[in-house]
Amino acid sequence: MVEHARQAYPRECCGAMLGTEANGERHVKAARPMRNAFEGAQEDTYQLDPAEQIAVEKEARSQGLSVVGIFHSHPDCDAYFSKRDLANSCPWYSFVVLSIKKGEFDHANSFLPNFEQTAAEQETLEYAAQLT
Amino acid sequence: MAKVLIPTPLRQFAAGNDSVEITGATVGDILDQLTTQHPDLRKNLFNDEGKLRSFVNVYLNDEDIRYLGKGATAAKDSDTISIVPSIAGGVR
Repeated sequence: MVEHARQAYPRECCGAMLGTEANGERHVKAARPMRNAFEGAQEDTYQLDPAEQIAVEKEARSQGLSVVGIFHSHPDCDAYFSKRDLANSCPWYSFVVLSIKKGEFDHANSFLPNFEQTAAEQETLEYAAQLT
Repeated sequence: MAKVLIPTPLRQFAAGNDSVEITGATVGDILDQLTTQHPDLRKNLFNDEGKLRSFVNVYLNDEDIRYLGKGATAAKDSDTISIVPSIAGGVR
């Protein structure tokens, strides 16, 4: 996820997180970089490609995993959940936002939006390995 | 019967099924039957007024039904229906 965000900088990157879910916890096993399908300035916008979403769902199924989350980057901004992030979100997924400053990873946060897309709860984000 | 692919995070609301096969004349009929068979899916797909939630897009094979006949789009037994959330955003 960090590598994809670095490579996309100064544009926003996006992708899916494949993993498992149990007892209110989601464990990410694999990150799947996806194309930023937004056709305008990608420095401040991302959009998923529906055809790629269908392909990623198929990939998750074939591996016995779920698409547990979506990630995207905020170039040279903090990892908050913006109004546009919220307005175009989906409560089925955890949304991880990566802050990339001057091309390097700075921090990340995870959010769980509600069904009405009016609020998103910040989730606890724990790393299995130290990020470099 | 048309095959409805259940988004992986929603399988828990569809008795763990990856897909559900349903006979119906239209995509709307099929989604109605799907959420009748699996009521926990309803809240995820439809709002309180019974309309598809704004973030839910439905594809008949590779076509978004918004550009076909919406819920009235005819479905055949060989069709695959995918439920794909609309997702975007950005820093500002």
